[in-house]
Amino acid sequence: MVRGLSKRFGSLRALDGLDLDVPPGRLTALIGPNGAGKTTAFACISGALRPSTGSVRFENHEISGTPYHRVARLGIARTYQIVQTFGEMSVLDAVIVGALLRHRRVADARAFALKTIEALGLGPKRDALCRSLTIADKKRLEVARALATEPRLLLLDEVMAGLTPAEGAAAVELLRAIIATGVAILMVEHVMEVVMPLAEHVVVLAAGKPIFAGDPRAAVNDPVVIEAYLGRP
Amino acid sequence: MSVRSHVAALAAVSAALIALALGYHNPFILDLVFTGLIFAVLGQSWNWISGYAGQISFGHALFFGCGAYAAALFAVHHGSPWLALVGGAVVAAVLAVLVGFPCFALRGHYFSIATIAVAAIAEITASNADVLGKANGFEMPILAPSLAALQFTDKGQYVLVALGLFVIAQLATVGLERSRLGYYLRAIRQNQEAAASVGIDARLAKLVTYAGCGALAALAGALYAQQTLYVGPEDTLGLPISISIALVGVVGGLSTVWGPALGAFVYVVLARYGGAMLGGSGRGLDLVLYGALILLIVSLQPDGLAGFARFVRRRGTAASS
Repeated sequence: MVRGLSKRFGSLRALDGLDLDVPPGRLTALIGPNGAGKTTAFACISGALRPSTGSVRFENHEISGTPYHRVARLGIARTYQIVQTFGEMSVLDAVIVGALLRHRRVADARAFALKTIEALGLGPKRDALCRSLTIADKKRLEVARALATEPRLLLLDEVMAGLTPAEGAAAVELLRAIIATGVAILMVEHVMEVVMPLAEHVVVLAAGKPIFAGDPRAAVNDPVVIEAYLGRP
Repeated sequence: MSVRSHVAALAAVSAALIALALGYHNPFILDLVFTGLIFAVLGQSWNWISGYAGQISFGHALFFGCGAYAAALFAVHHGSPWLALVGGAVVAAVLAVLVGFPCFALRGHYFSIATIAVAAIAEITASNADVLGKANGFEMPILAPSLAALQFTDKGQYVLVALGLFVIAQLATVGLERSRLGYYLRAIRQNQEAAASVGIDARLAKLVTYAGCGALAALAGALYAQQTLYVGPEDTLGLPISISIALVGVVGGLSTVWGPALGAFVYVVLARYGGAMLGGSGRGLDLVLYGALILLIVSLQPDGLAGFARFVRRRGTAASS
């Protein structure tokens, strides 16, 4: 799906020749140390940035160069590393906004949003303002808003960052449930441990270049990956 | 507020104003009410794009003037004023799209500045174009009073017509709040990036809204012209008109159904009484008062009068529970 993706900022090669496939009903993880190019890759795949070379294809549609709002209509939804909520709107209203993508009538969108909110355990907080939520709940809300658009591909940008271990464990359960519905997930993560129980396939980036692709258990034992994270012994 | 309570409030306000228009023949008060209703509609039009969508416009006189000039041109060329209402609204909507298309690429203050510039261009154009009466504008012919001519001898009848437009604007706003577009506008105002990520075409949503704003403000402009029977560039397209419209919206409270009406009430009372008392001796002192008012509200109660009412109500229920 992603072929030869590269992005240069001036003379800096932030991303150099990334290949990536995200099959439905699976979680694929893109990991790597700080500055590896994960966020750049994510921005190119979600349509927010136009890659310098290479292509991002989703179900026969070329994503790079597609206007940002149209990417969602194709069936791709995303969350943000730094949460982007509709601050002064209620949780329910924010999720309704997402649900309106596939439901023309507000009443239908509302019904679907309520279901989504319940499924994500935000039911008791549906009338709270988005800005009043905890970080964990804001991340949950972003996932709810994204799922309300009924995506076939869900892009998660460091959803685990800033969560306590208990919140993280709950999030892992949640992601399992989402994968079970057949949605493809591409997850960008800094910390390798959180993707271990979930991912079937990982791609490790370091300094813009993919250095490993394969099974996550093999990744943690790969000398090149260990060197990228910890340096040469 | 639920749809029901909005409609109930609207019915109560309408009943009171109808009684006033039919039973009370003080021209000073009726003129105040008429102007108040016109500004309530203008404020509501401003509220759609600047309140709900968060794109602060300081050029709303463009649309008001468009309607007023349509009324004048139709009157001078013996056209029906009802056609002028339709024509002015359509032209204003088209203008809004033409202006909005480039301007909505600008964010924040840059959009506001662009709206000032466009209205200024319109004012200068009207002041210099022969077909638009140049700087003198138009004196509209006085016709035999009738509903068809939209001219009346009694001020109360103007109040009734303006009330009709006000009711339409209020109901449209209640509908907007609950519509798909209403949700989109609020999302865009909160976070345009996140709005785009769930498939919202922000520019399209703003353009559609802006076209509606233009049409509504033009209808108010045409009615206003029918009552004053004079249309000139300064009085309909000038920056002070745009500022007044924004003042009405800010004082009343952004993104609320009743904010513009409250703001218009405060504005007309201040403009009439404040203008009469302060405007004469040191002209412009009333404008200082508006400036102070905007500063006070923005710093103390950014949600305006409607926000203050909500605040009081919430404290009341908190205290009783």
